[in-house]
Amino acid sequence: MPRRVLTRTVRDSGRSFGGFAAYIVMIVAAIVSIYPSLGHNPSLTKLVQSYPGTLKAFIGFGGVVDYSTGIGYLGIELFSLMLPALLIAAGVMAAARAIAAEEEQQTLDLLLANPISRTRLLLEKAAALFVQLVLLAAVLFVALAVSTSLAGMDVTVAHLAAGAAAAALLALLFGMLALAVGAATGKRGLALAVAGGAAVAAYLANALCSLVGALAPLRQASPFYQYSVVDPLRHGLVFAHAAPLAVGALALVVVAAFAFNRRDLA
Amino acid sequence: MAGHPVVRAHSLSKSYGSQRGIERLDFTVESGEIFGLLGPNGAGKTTTIRLLLDLIRPTSGRVDLFGADPRSDPAVRRRIGYLPGDLRLYERLSGREQLNYFAGLRGLHGLGRAEELAARFDVELDRTLKTLSKGNRQKVGIVQAFMHDPELLILDEPTSGLDPLVQQTFHALLDETRAAGRTVLISSHVLPEVQRVADRVALLREGRLVLEDTVDALRSHAVARVEATLAEAAAPDAFAGLPGVRELERHGLMVVFAVQGEPDGLLKALATHRVTALESREADLEDVFLALYGKPS
Repeated sequence: MPRRVLTRTVRDSGRSFGGFAAYIVMIVAAIVSIYPSLGHNPSLTKLVQSYPGTLKAFIGFGGVVDYSTGIGYLGIELFSLMLPALLIAAGVMAAARAIAAEEEQQTLDLLLANPISRTRLLLEKAAALFVQLVLLAAVLFVALAVSTSLAGMDVTVAHLAAGAAAAALLALLFGMLALAVGAATGKRGLALAVAGGAAVAAYLANALCSLVGALAPLRQASPFYQYSVVDPLRHGLVFAHAAPLAVGALALVVVAAFAFNRRDLA
Repeated sequence: MAGHPVVRAHSLSKSYGSQRGIERLDFTVESGEIFGLLGPNGAGKTTTIRLLLDLIRPTSGRVDLFGADPRSDPAVRRRIGYLPGDLRLYERLSGREQLNYFAGLRGLHGLGRAEELAARFDVELDRTLKTLSKGNRQKVGIVQAFMHDPELLILDEPTSGLDPLVQQTFHALLDETRAAGRTVLISSHVLPEVQRVADRVALLREGRLVLEDTVDALRSHAVARVEATLAEAAAPDAFAGLPGVRELERHGLMVVFAVQGEPDGLLKALATHRVTALESREADLEDVFLALYGKPS
């Protein structure tokens, strides 16, 4: 059977994702364009070095705070927070809509009266989220590749692709969490709150636990840790850190399908 | 008329904690018939229908559609057309886009009968659904239920929001559907409608099936409706406990009864009063309903 639900879902959220894509392009272009005037400034590097550890833990990326190179600049300004936050927002919002909004708007009854199983519906909605995030990551990658090349930054195209992929993978994980909560409860607001709250908590846990030695094991449970501990802009996508995010996303799809299959629709 | 069973509910129950659901429903809809599920709002009609479609799961009991469990075999839903009681469509799509989406899911080439039906019901398919009136959306709902010419139609309060002329068009469509050997399960709280279209009816009350019979037999069950006007008001319990007699309502000095079987008991009871007018007529389903429920639906 053709993937009708997948294509319909991707098409219906085109406007929302188009908005996120445009925003990402603007942010990337703006941040990268001011690099030539900021990046090689030794006094700025010195200033940042003098920041307290707490602040550095928040703004740093890949374990370093480095304003003197293009890679370091991209990490601090874009990859430490801005880009993952945008991708997560796009993914979580779309995923919360996937099942829960259809249920709240009561279009789900009629949809599921068609010859399609709940599992299949859920898998196509999950696949739609994957496709949407891949498209968004592709836009991000192109924006990065074009703007860094215009600004003369010393970043390879492959590493930019790895960075975009890592951020999208992180967003996929939180998106699948929103999908699972939405599929299990039918409540869009709850799906948004749980997934959004988890993302904020994961970000804070990664930054704060890096400051306290005793909390280090807790830090490794944070998806943000797996995303950022090895800078993909320097080292590419590292399997050992990408795999937990991908496995987590898949596990959430399984949980979502299980919960969705077992309950009454509202 | 009766063929093989298309829909079968086996001791079907659904409880919602403290709220009432449905209790141990047993009924069968045979191929080629129009089966009316009748009852006031809140009686459990929609709950029953959503159980049949596997949108909710029974607390106990079982559903068979075409001899299969609808849960383990979603493909069986290709043979069903469904019109929900509270119809919601994709507001941002046009009627055609919504129909296209569902046609694809049902493995239909093109739009099936949709164009023909849309023309017949005079509904614009190229307008965005949110710009359509409730009546026109209901028409789109009818079109999507019938577009793939399904063997079984499950229609929950299908004529709600339709003006009388469109209801006629819909009834004509139902007649054709039956003539084509299709099976229809239709729910309604409007008695004349079911009386008009159904071969058999099941009456639902407070989640229980109180009666299941052919429309003809129900009418003959019969109950007569007797209206007696008295010269002086009778005591509230003056007609209580008479066999086969149920007092339905009083309007001033007029007392309305539903009488099943011989009217003798009622006449003897009335004879103790001065009766100024007496009228009796053949019951329609409304009265059967009242006799069973004891209060207006």
